[in-house]
Amino acid sequence: MTVTLIKTKTEQGLLADFERDHAALPGTGWVERLRRDAIESFGAQGLPHRRIEAWKYTDLRERLTDVSAAPVASQSTIDRAAVDKALGPLASLQAHRIVLIDGRWAADLCDAKKLAKGVRVQSLAAALVAAPDWLHAKLTPDRASSADAIAALNLAFMSDGVLIEIDADAAPKKPILLVNLRSTDNGGLVATRNIVRVGAGASLTLIEAHAARDGGPAQPHANVVTDVEIGDRAAVVHIQVVANAPTTTHLAHWRAMIGTEASYRAFQLTAGVKLARNELTIAFSGPDAKLDISGAFLGSGNDHIDTTLVVDHSTTGCVARELFKGVLEDRARGVFQGKVIVQPEAQKTDGKQMAQVLMLSEDAEFDSKPELEIYADDVVCGHGSTAAEIDPAMVFYLRSRGIPLAQARAMLTESFIAEAIEKIEDEAVREALMAIAVAWLRRSSPTKD
Amino acid sequence: MLEIDNLHVRIADGGAEILTGITLTVPKGEVHAIMGPNGSGKSTLAYVLAGRDDYEVTSGDIRWNGESLLDLEPDARAAKGVFLAFQYPMEIPGVATMTFLRASVNAVRKKRGIKELTTPEFLKFVRAKAAELGVKDEMLKRPLNVGFSGGEKKRMEILQMSMLEPQLCVLDETDSGLDIDAIRIVSEGANKLRSPDRAMLVITHYQRLLTYIQPDKVHVLAGGRIQKTGGKELALELEKTGYAEFKPRAA
Repeated sequence: MTVTLIKTKTEQGLLADFERDHAALPGTGWVERLRRDAIESFGAQGLPHRRIEAWKYTDLRERLTDVSAAPVASQSTIDRAAVDKALGPLASLQAHRIVLIDGRWAADLCDAKKLAKGVRVQSLAAALVAAPDWLHAKLTPDRASSADAIAALNLAFMSDGVLIEIDADAAPKKPILLVNLRSTDNGGLVATRNIVRVGAGASLTLIEAHAARDGGPAQPHANVVTDVEIGDRAAVVHIQVVANAPTTTHLAHWRAMIGTEASYRAFQLTAGVKLARNELTIAFSGPDAKLDISGAFLGSGNDHIDTTLVVDHSTTGCVARELFKGVLEDRARGVFQGKVIVQPEAQKTDGKQMAQVLMLSEDAEFDSKPELEIYADDVVCGHGSTAAEIDPAMVFYLRSRGIPLAQARAMLTESFIAEAIEKIEDEAVREALMAIAVAWLRRSSPTKD
Repeated sequence: MLEIDNLHVRIADGGAEILTGITLTVPKGEVHAIMGPNGSGKSTLAYVLAGRDDYEVTSGDIRWNGESLLDLEPDARAAKGVFLAFQYPMEIPGVATMTFLRASVNAVRKKRGIKELTTPEFLKFVRAKAAELGVKDEMLKRPLNVGFSGGEKKRMEILQMSMLEPQLCVLDETDSGLDIDAIRIVSEGANKLRSPDRAMLVITHYQRLLTYIQPDKVHVLAGGRIQKTGGKELALELEKTGYAEFKPRAA
């Protein structure tokens, strides 16, 4: 039996936009063929919808009703001061800054000249033009991404991104801050592809900031894929901040491959986004690695924030910790899907997963789907998920000490989120993220009396 | 002066009646003890004084310095000088003890129209008070009451009490779960707060706390009302006879 889905307006539009824009996208030869195959794959699959298990709670057919590809931007008028303003508390961070405006490298806003030794950063668009063989292999979809319509859309439309290479044992002191900003008023899809390769024994902190600008585009839609390859004994900290973007739809997919005895610490802060789907797919290429994925999601209004993890343990002795905390107000909806696979050969795996949500409204919704698939017999794995209101006994205790109701609730909410943000070890980064979270939490619940 | 006048209290939303007509007066400068068997309503009385909304006052009144407390929120009562030392202090993960103490002290000062403390002023204040009560710096750095022993939690309550300078102190089973040394330290802290313009209500099941905090009067609360009142010798008597002579519920 063959079922032909009727294509939605967005699907038809994107297919047409590809025909209009593809010649202007970077790369020829195999790059162009990959894009063509990808758009055909997207055309055949369509947008993911609720009957696809992984998208059960986040139906893009229903929610992305009017997305088209962003037109190739004209010259941007954004200066460094405007970038700083959009970055908020992250602006003062000592970091090596890379700026993408509308998904394209903005050389005049980047700190590209002051790189540490053993660190190379370049525009993906430039790499697509140079088209080295390794990049061909890297971008060619594997089985999983062939079946992923959103990954296909990213491959078809990728306009730019960052390519970061850290040599073995290099350890840049400053984090790399990758700023994604939109300039135009008409929004639309911007597809960004980042590739990170960290050599053996090296270290890197990468912060991806997706910032909105006052008076920015009406309906920005971001599709970001970041591939991270972590060499043996290397240590990578990877942070994403998507904040204060009430009209943005944001689809991010991080795919990490972690080497022997390496460490990957990922943190995602999502605060006030119309629709966010943050996907993390983690695999291990060697034993005894350490993984820590955590995050905080804050939603109000009709915000919809989805975190979907797949951690695939295929080697021995890896330790994995996952902690996500959410605060949901109004009719906001949080989704947490955490799938942990422990293959038969992954003995001595030590995994713990926890998702906790504070429900500040009766109309908020939290859908949690932890999945453990364990095929090894000598492992320690656990998961938990809670959705609760602020504990009235705690509120009473604080109020009995003179603290007014609104301030008591704010203290308890902020401390709840702080427990996740404390996963970030770098103090300056942690404080910047806490400041963003606190500012969001306090924006609508005045604590002054 | 605290005046409790024929107070009837039930569990909110039409639950069971717990206090069935308490009448009690505690003048400033005096310490009164409330003793009674388990389930007599002692903790309910403590919570109702502090303004917990799990309970509903169906009739009667609580007046502090002539003003009814019943319509005041818990934080407004704290500003008026009411302080409840909890039987089971809440553990609040994620809120640093210092942050909490500062928020509390400054909220109360603000409502009393006193200038809020700056960071250096506050640190000096808290360190001096903490040293008096043997509260270690390390405890102040931890999240509030998290991982504290029973004795540490009670000491933290007394520290808060001494910092907030209340005028009506209600100590709910402050001795429960403490060994003799801890009881002595906590009692000394409470005794330091005895003063001519402060009233204190000490709620306890056992007489032993009252050898350290000597009351002016002892009331027996049983079956939701005061069934006997006497001097401090009444506590010793109860220690021998127990609460058997008191009716669990008003007939």
